[in-house]
Amino acid sequence: MEVVDARAALAPAISLVCAALVFASADNTFWRRFFSIAAALAKLVIVMSMLPGSLRGVVYTFNLVEFTEGVGLAFRADALGMFFSVVSSTLWLVTTIYAIGYMEREPNRRRFFGFFALCVSTTVGVAFAENLLTMFLFYESLTICTYPLVIHDETPEAMKAGRKYLIYTLTGGAFVLLGSIVTYQLAGTMTLSQPGILPLAAGRTTLTMLFVALIAGFGVKAAIMPLHGWLPSAMVAPTPVSALLHAVAVVKVGAFGILRTIYNIFGVALLRELGVCTWLAGLAAFTILAASVVAIFQDNLKRRLAFSTISQLSYIVLGASLLTPLAATAAIVHIANQAFAKITMFFVAGSIQRTTGKTTVHELAGIGFRMPYTMAAFTVAALSFIGVPLLAGFVTKWYLSLGALEAGEWWYALVMLASALLNAAYWLPVVYTAFFKTEPTAEVEVHEAHWTMLGPTLVCAVFVIFLGATVSVPGMPFALASAAVKFVFGM
Amino acid sequence: MTPWPPLLALLIVVPLTGAVITPVVGRTRAVRSADWSLGVMLATSVIALVLVVQVARVGPFSYVVGGWVAPYGIELRFDEFGAVIAVICLLGTLAMVFSRRYAAQAMAEQRIPYYYALLLLNLTGMIGFAVTGDLFNLFVFMEILSLSGYALVAVSGEKIAEMAAFKYLVMGAISSLVILLAIGILYALTGSLNMADVTGRLAGAPAAPLAVAFGALTLGFMVKAAAFPLHIWLPDAHAIAPSPVSAILSGLVVKVGIIGMLRVYQIAYGSGAVDMRALNHVLMWLGALSIVMGAFFAVFQDDIKMMLAYSTISNIGYIIMGLGLASSYGMIGASVHVFNHAIIKATLFLGAGALIFQTGKRTLTDLAGVGHAMPWTVAAISVGAISIVGIPPTAGFVCKWYIALGAVQAGHPFFAFALVFGALFIFIYYIRMVNAFYFRQPRDPAILEVTEAPASMLVPVLILASLCLIMGVMGSLPLSFIEPAVQRLLLPLGGG
Repeated sequence: MEVVDARAALAPAISLVCAALVFASADNTFWRRFFSIAAALAKLVIVMSMLPGSLRGVVYTFNLVEFTEGVGLAFRADALGMFFSVVSSTLWLVTTIYAIGYMEREPNRRRFFGFFALCVSTTVGVAFAENLLTMFLFYESLTICTYPLVIHDETPEAMKAGRKYLIYTLTGGAFVLLGSIVTYQLAGTMTLSQPGILPLAAGRTTLTMLFVALIAGFGVKAAIMPLHGWLPSAMVAPTPVSALLHAVAVVKVGAFGILRTIYNIFGVALLRELGVCTWLAGLAAFTILAASVVAIFQDNLKRRLAFSTISQLSYIVLGASLLTPLAATAAIVHIANQAFAKITMFFVAGSIQRTTGKTTVHELAGIGFRMPYTMAAFTVAALSFIGVPLLAGFVTKWYLSLGALEAGEWWYALVMLASALLNAAYWLPVVYTAFFKTEPTAEVEVHEAHWTMLGPTLVCAVFVIFLGATVSVPGMPFALASAAVKFVFGM
Repeated sequence: MTPWPPLLALLIVVPLTGAVITPVVGRTRAVRSADWSLGVMLATSVIALVLVVQVARVGPFSYVVGGWVAPYGIELRFDEFGAVIAVICLLGTLAMVFSRRYAAQAMAEQRIPYYYALLLLNLTGMIGFAVTGDLFNLFVFMEILSLSGYALVAVSGEKIAEMAAFKYLVMGAISSLVILLAIGILYALTGSLNMADVTGRLAGAPAAPLAVAFGALTLGFMVKAAAFPLHIWLPDAHAIAPSPVSAILSGLVVKVGIIGMLRVYQIAYGSGAVDMRALNHVLMWLGALSIVMGAFFAVFQDDIKMMLAYSTISNIGYIIMGLGLASSYGMIGASVHVFNHAIIKATLFLGAGALIFQTGKRTLTDLAGVGHAMPWTVAAISVGAISIVGIPPTAGFVCKWYIALGAVQAGHPFFAFALVFGALFIFIYYIRMVNAFYFRQPRDPAILEVTEAPASMLVPVLILASLCLIMGVMGSLPLSFIEPAVQRLLLPLGGG
C-alpha cells in the first residue's frame, strides 16, 4: 500500500534545517549543541513514527519536484530504505553526542557540526530516494558534505587525503550519473520502486556495461577492491567523522547503492540471466579475504579498522550478488550489524586517543584495566565480527553461508569461515593486549573517557548484542529486512 | 495571426536609434546616458516579451520590411530559436543596471556615454541577428555586434585590454570574411539571399561549392562560438573586458555562432541538398574536445574571470555536441542551453565583477575567505557554480541531461561518457573556487573587512542566481517551448 506522506521528504529535510541553524548560530556553543541534538532526536522520531506503518507494509511516498517528464526529485520510504534510515538516524543521535564530547577543544566546530548534519541529511536522502536521479543527487552531495569533515584538521596530510577522497568519489559519482542516463534511455524511467526495470531486450553487452558502470560508481564508496584506496587515507579525519564515514554514511551509501542497483534497477531475474553477478561475488570474496589479511599487519588501530571496514562491506556486496533470498537478507541486515559494531570500535579508538593519546595497537597494553567499560564494549564488537552467536555479526555470517549453499556455491561458506578466522586473528590480539598484558608503568587507575563519549560507546555495544539476540522477535529491524527481501524476490 | 507587424521591426529600430542618441544624451552628464540606455532596454524588453508570447502561442511568423516581399525585400522572421532575444533583453537590462556603479570605476568619465552606446549597439546586433530572415542582413548584424564587441573589450583603455581586443578583432574579422564568402557562394548558386528562398532553391546545386559554402559557414560560426581549437581569442577578451561586458560576451555573443549554426541547419536540412553527416561528426568531436580542453585549462587558472572564460568554452562544447548529435533530445538540450548558459554565466561574471569591484582583487589566492565578507554575492556565485556543473535542481542540469540522453539516443554513448566526465572536470575547478571563497584562510585579513556590494550590483546578481534555480525547477517549460522548433528542424531527417 502506498501513501503520500511528507514525512518521507521531511526526514532528509530536518537535518538540512539543522545544518542551516548550526551555521546561523555562529559561535554559540549552547545553541549549536541544542540544534544538533534536537534535530537528531526529531529525525529519529520522524523515522520511527513511520516504522510501524512500514512493518505493516505501508510505503510512504512524496514527490518534491519534477524537472522534466519523469525526471525529478521524489522520495519513497520502502522497507529497504526504512531499514537504512532507521540505522543511520539512530547512529546519528549517538554520534552527535559522542562528537560533542570529542570535539570539545577543536577549532572550527561550527563548520564541523554544520556539515555533520548535512551528511546525515544526504544519507537519509539516499535511503529514501525514489529514483536513480534523486539518489545520485544525494550521493554526490554526500561527497561534497564530507569533504570539509575529512580535511577538518587542515594539515597537509589531511588536505592530501581530502583530495584523494574527492578524486575517487567524484569519479565514482560520474559513473553513477552515466549509468542513470543509460538506464533512463533503456527503461524510460529511473524509478527504484520496482523489483527491476530494465528489459533483457536492451541487449546483453549494453546491460553488462551498464551494470559495470553502476557497480563501479557505487563500489568506490563501498570500497570494493581495487576501488578502496581513499578509505585508509581518510583516517586522518577526527574520529567521529571516521565513525560516520565508515559505519553510517559514506560507505553504507555505496553499499546501499549496490543493493538498489541489483534489486531495483536490474532485478534478480535479469541478473541471473546475465550472469554478471558471479564476477561481482568473486570480487567481493577476494576483497573480504585480502582486506583482512592486510588488516592483520596494521599497527595503527584506526588503519586496522579501515581495512576491517573494507572487508566487512564486501559481505554486503557478496550477499547481494548471490541472488538468493537468504543471502539478500544477510546483505541487508549487515548494513546494521556492521554499522553498530564498527562504530563501537571507532568510538573506542577515539576515546583511547583522547584520554591517553595512544593510537597504535602495541601501545594498548593494560588499557583494559584503565578503561574497562570502553574495552568491554570493544570486546563485544570484536566478538561480533568474529561471528560469535548471539551477537550481530553471527546473524550475517549464518544467513550468508546459508544463502551461499542455497545458491549452490558452497565455497562462499568457506570464505565466511576463513574470514571469521582472519577477524579473530586481528581483533583478538587487541583484546589480549588490552587485558592480559600489563602496562610497563605499574600504577593503574581507572580513567574512563568523558560520559559523552563513553555513553554512546556502550549504547552501540548494547545494540550489537540486541541485534544479534532479537532476530526472531517480530517488529524488529530484521522483520523490515525480510519484508524488503520478499518484495525483491516477489515472494 | 501576427501582432501589429511593425513590432518585429521596432524590436531592432528602438535599440538602434537609442544607441545612436545615447552619446548625445550623456554629453553633459554621463549618468544620464545610463538612465537613457536602461530605458531603451526596458522598452525593447517589453516588445521582446510580447513577441515571445506570440511565438509560443501561434508559432513562427515574419514581417516584410517596407512591404517588399521576398526575395527582393528584407524579411524579418521570428521563430522559437529567435526567442533568445528574451535572454538578450534580460541580460542587457541587468548589465545596464550593474554598470551604473561599475563603469564609473572601470573607465574614464567621458567614455561612459560611448560605453552605453556600444553596449546598446551590441545588443541590437544580437537581436537583429536572431530575428533576421536574410543572409546578408545576418552578416550585417553580425558585424554590428562584432565591431561593438571589439570596442567594448578595449573600453577601459588599458594596454592589455587593447591587446586582447586586437586579438579578438583579428580572429573575428577572419571568421566574418569566411562567412561572407559562404554567403556569396550561396547567392551565386541560388540568386537569392532570403533564407527560406535559398532553402527552396538549393536542390540540385552542384555538390562541391555547396560543401565549401557549408564548410565555411560552419568554420566561421565555430570561431565565433569559440570551439576548441578556434577559441584562442576568447579567454583574454572575456577576462579583460569590464565584468558586465564579460557577462554579455560570454553569455550571449558567443551564442551568435550557435544561432548561426542553427540557421545553417535550417537551410541544410530544409533543402535536403546537403549531407550534414560528416559535418555533424566534426561538430560532435569539436564539442567533446571543447568540453574537455576548456575544463582542463580552467583547472589551472588562478584568475577567476579567466576561469569563467575557459568554462564558457566547455559549455559551448556541450551545445555544439548537442547540435552535432542531430537527435531530438540533443538538439533540444543544446537549444535550451543557449538560454540557460547565458543566465548562469551572467550570474558568475556579474558576481565575479562585484567581488572585484569591492575587493580590488581577482585571483583565487587573493580572494580566499571572501565568502565571510560578502555572503550574498558568494552565495549567488555558488548557485551559479552548482548550476553550471549541472547539478539538479538548477538550470544547468536539464540541458546536460537532455544532451546526454541525446548522445545515447543517437547511438553514441561515448559522447555521453565524455559529457559526464567533462562535467566532473568542471566540478573540480568550481569546487576549488567555492573552497577558496569559504574554506581557505584569507591571505590578507583585510579581505574580511570588505563590505557587501552596492544594491545596483547585488540585485542583478541575485535575480540571475534565483533564475538559475527557477529554470532548473521549472525545467520543462523552456524544453516544451523549444520542442516544436526542433521537431520541425529534424523533420526532413525522418523525425529525430
